Amino acid sequence: MIWVEILTRHREIAARFRIHGSEVYIGRGYDNDVIIDDPHVAAQHLRVFRDETGQLVAEDLGSLNGMFLDSGRSRQTRIVVDGGRPIRIGQTWLRFRETSHAVEPERVVPSERRSVAAVLAILLGLSIPAIECLEVWLTQTSEPRVSSYLSPLLLILAGMIGWVGFWTLLSRIFSGRLRFLSHLLIAMAGVLVFSLYDQVAQFLAFAWTFPAASTYQYVALWSILAVVCFLDLRLVGRARPWLKGILVLLLLAAAIAVQTLQLSEAVSDSGRQFTARRLLPPALRLVPLRDESAFFEDIEKLKLTLDADRVKAAASPVNGGRAP
Amino acid sequence: MLSRRWIFELGDWLAISLVQMLRAGLAWLVMSVPAAMAAPAVPEASSAAQAIYAAAPQRLLQIRTLVADAGRQTSIGSGFLVAADGLAITNYHVVSQAVLEPRTFRLEYAAADGSHGDVRVLAFDLANDLAIVQLDKDDAAFFSFDEVAMAGRLPQGERLYSMGNPLDLGFTISEGTYNGLVGHSYNERIHFTGALNPGMSGGPTVTGEGFVAGVNVATQRGGQLVSFLVPARFAATLLRRVRDHDTSPDLHAEIARQLATFTSGLYQSFADGGFRPTQVGSYRAPEPAAPWFDCWANTNVDETPKPRASINSTSCRSDTGLFVAADLTTGAIQLSHSYVRTSELNSFQFAAVLTRMSQPRLVGGGPFRKWYTPERCHEDFVGAANEPDHPSLRVIWCAEAYREFDSLYDIALIAVTQDHDREALISRLSLQAVGYDEAISLGRRFIEAVQVSR
Repeated sequence: MIWVEILTRHREIAARFRIHGSEVYIGRGYDNDVIIDDPHVAAQHLRVFRDETGQLVAEDLGSLNGMFLDSGRSRQTRIVVDGGRPIRIGQTWLRFRETSHAVEPERVVPSERRSVAAVLAILLGLSIPAIECLEVWLTQTSEPRVSSYLSPLLLILAGMIGWVGFWTLLSRIFSGRLRFLSHLLIAMAGVLVFSLYDQVAQFLAFAWTFPAASTYQYVALWSILAVVCFLDLRLVGRARPWLKGILVLLLLAAAIAVQTLQLSEAVSDSGRQFTARRLLPPALRLVPLRDESAFFEDIEKLKLTLDADRVKAAASPVNGGRAP
Repeated sequence: MLSRRWIFELGDWLAISLVQMLRAGLAWLVMSVPAAMAAPAVPEASSAAQAIYAAAPQRLLQIRTLVADAGRQTSIGSGFLVAADGLAITNYHVVSQAVLEPRTFRLEYAAADGSHGDVRVLAFDLANDLAIVQLDKDDAAFFSFDEVAMAGRLPQGERLYSMGNPLDLGFTISEGTYNGLVGHSYNERIHFTGALNPGMSGGPTVTGEGFVAGVNVATQRGGQLVSFLVPARFAATLLRRVRDHDTSPDLHAEIARQLATFTSGLYQSFADGGFRPTQVGSYRAPEPAAPWFDCWANTNVDETPKPRASINSTSCRSDTGLFVAADLTTGAIQLSHSYVRTSELNSFQFAAVLTRMSQPRLVGGGPFRKWYTPERCHEDFVGAANEPDHPSLRVIWCAEAYREFDSLYDIALIAVTQDHDREALISRLSLQAVGYDEAISLGRRFIEAVQVSR
């Protein structure tokens, strides 16, 4: 008995036929055992039979377009079938298997992990709005308004629905399953990490006088987005992870480079640094107080930078400056 | 309230440019002319005005700045001859474009008798907004300076006659009164109550005998007939310097030199005056002691809805903005203190209020890309633990250098007290066109003067 499987381009099974004899004829004509409606297949294209040693062999019956092994480019007239790699005739992929073909062992249905994921999703789903509302509350200096809490939440919710919807659709197309919960978890973890980073950066900018953490926030945002994309891509399909990794890294580098360029051009246009110097309650200060003399020594050092800027500006009169 | 402040803005300078003409447009010309004509209609003095005006035309000038390529005027002002060999006086701001960009602009005069010709700038006095120009004239009639005015002994209420070519309408004379020198002013200026209009910049204001008492320079924006003159003695001094050949031929370098001299004198005088302590909430804060600062208070308690943090501010501004170019007026000093406290907000919310109020906002005197290098800032916590009077501070120092004026910088210093979580003082010091070391020493004194007094 021989099983004939017709595969799609993505190696998914489109149709499966059980043949009781020891020989199968395949082609477009009605005198075949398996008929294939592919205009690039001959009327009688392929014969699969058992040779003297008992192996299954596929043989080209003199077609115009020939027979190929998997995505190979060299035309074959005779292929020993191993049940793994498909054979292409015309634009159709075929696979031949015997009843003795070994299958993977039965997997356990992951029912418990699903409930853990659901609990995790609920926890994340509660902590994101909580952090967001806390942030709004701590910066609320005018009369409290319900809308100032609701509108950012609505924005996050809408973004999340769009993002998760997009990835579940991709998963459905390429792996056949929605994987909604997993995509949701990845997206929520991304949002949570970013809002935590935001808080930590603001804290560092104040408590340690380290404004760079806040200035280069966009780098963190893009990096988190890249990790989220990579995890989502991996979930959609596990094939070629290194290729996806490199792709995501390239996009990340491009995004950071473009935004850095954009910011530096904006700074050179306006002459102002885009640093919000956020203050927090004095009790959060971590660095020791700087002595006044030491502080003004630092200020004196700033003069060297300013004078260097002036020399640089004089050297490039195109930037709005005048030739002397 | 704003109208009472002494804010000299570009529109206050009496030179007139195309943009102003377009902006003022017909409404200005049509509507303001009858009012201006009504002003000199004081019966008894009109004969004096007639006599003065009859002798004036051949000595009065209109000074035009032309775009060299197009040959058309881009701004106009007035001027007057002070010597038979064609030396004339006008304002620096009337000729500044031609001084700064001699390849793009050139100057021309037009006299009341219809003659016109080229004008060359010989010297200027940036601090007093005066310039001396050379006309291709000899044997010309000219104005003399008034000796009484030069000695500063004109009686208050003396009638003066101001001349020029307002709004390019033709030469006019308008009558007004001498009201002494402007009080609380760093620069010496005559307060003249009379109508000065754009285009009269650089024209003479003369006494009843026809001698020059001052040079028209500016009006108070929002004021009625409140006008300012540069005292004649500065013009006489500049004229003497030209006669003695005590002037620099490199006008461009001369601007930088005079600006540096002016601001170093200004900051020396500011430092000598020092700070006097003033009580702001539970803090003692430094206010300028010099009389030429104009201080105002501001509060937010009357706002609706009722603010959740009360803010009481005082701010002081010097009137020392110096006209350097049409797009650069610099040399102003600003100080402000805002005392902020709350009983409704928590300490994070209060810090958010302070965040909004303490952003550096370095205010340049002109467009950044033309005049300044990029802003550089440094911030830190400053304080000494063992001095109870001195609160710990969060200090931000931002500076930018002038591209063309070596050793001049614009500085903004902001100090926020860090000794309480729901009460704070935000102090700002802003210095334009200051030397870096002078700025550091002033900034240091400023910060040291921020003290706790509970």
